[in-house]
Amino acid sequence: MKHALHSVVFGLFLASTATVGSAGPAFADDMPTIKLLMKDGRLIPETLEVPANIRFRLEVTNEGPGAAEFESLELRKELVMAPGVTRNLVFHPMKPGTYKFFDDFHPATGQGRIVAK
Amino acid sequence: MGNALFVVWRESLEAFLIAGILYAWLKGNDDTCKGRRALFIGLAAGVGLALLLGWALLTVQDELSGNALEAFQIGTLLVAAGLITQMVLWMRKNGRHMKARLHADLSAAAEKSGFVGVAVVAALAVAREGAETVIFLYGMSQEGDYGALIGGALAGFAGAAATAWLAAKSLARLNIGLLLRLSSILLLVLASALLVMAVDRLIGSGWLPALVDPVWDSSRLIDDTTKGGKLLADFSGYRARPALSVLLAYLAYWSLVTLAYRRIARG
Repeated sequence: MKHALHSVVFGLFLASTATVGSAGPAFADDMPTIKLLMKDGRLIPETLEVPANIRFRLEVTNEGPGAAEFESLELRKELVMAPGVTRNLVFHPMKPGTYKFFDDFHPATGQGRIVAK
Repeated sequence: MGNALFVVWRESLEAFLIAGILYAWLKGNDDTCKGRRALFIGLAAGVGLALLLGWALLTVQDELSGNALEAFQIGTLLVAAGLITQMVLWMRKNGRHMKARLHADLSAAAEKSGFVGVAVVAALAVAREGAETVIFLYGMSQEGDYGALIGGALAGFAGAAATAWLAAKSLARLNIGLLLRLSSILLLVLASALLVMAVDRLIGSGWLPALVDPVWDSSRLIDDTTKGGKLLADFSGYRARPALSVLLAYLAYWSLVTLAYRRIARG
């Protein structure tokens, strides 16, 4: 049983690492880019309008002064960012609707939503 | 300061809980101090790893290494879930016979590998959550707000330690059979939550299909985007809008674990 478990764990681990090279989000330029600014525990803008049913890129900048964590359980994203950092997140096609996201390091003030239309 | 307290408490609670449960279990089952020593070595190594991982997360800027780091984090989630599960099964196997065996000085090798497992599980728990705490605290130090930083962080750590201590204390008060069963269940629930987190992030990165998304929406019952709901999600694997592949992984995990658990009981 121990061996079986070993191989399950290892298989999963390999699967997760093997995907790095092959299936990383392609940086195609036809993807629309939407920008989000995280600043002092606030999200600017708090409501992001995005096109539904196509891939898009979210360019998140954390202006600081503190660290921020872009997170959405619904959209399955989690990104920790030090102050002064800009990172891109690629979102897969979304059904029209409203999706919540938040700054996990500032849950009291950093609540936003993405509206896919 | 209130925010720093809450974030640090939440980020370090899991590591403290795992350490507390292991400590209670080792105290009840292991007369020598070897197991507990292994636990503390693991925790210390975890702090070092957390600093290293935190530094890596801070310095990574570009897309490619961002993806590699994401894959690495998902990998550590899966390995942690697997190791905790394996350790629970090891505890199940050795719990009742360990004292007798230690006296007879038998199977020292099996015992040793079990303790290495304890140390690795503890180290991974600290490293994963600790890395985020490192970044959070680094950010606060950039804000120049040292009073709030030190006060909030210390209060958060102390709160998490007290929570875990309370859990370990109440566990230790139970009789051995109940202690073993309850600590096993707690650890398995934590492991399943890690698995759900890993599968969710695999879907979010586009490395795994969601199949049906979502299968249901129970956010009106328990909303996992609120503070309390998020805690429940982090520690039990609850999702208000689960994808089918997450659900399948969760069910597969519990059926495999139940099967293995039963088999050890019979054997």
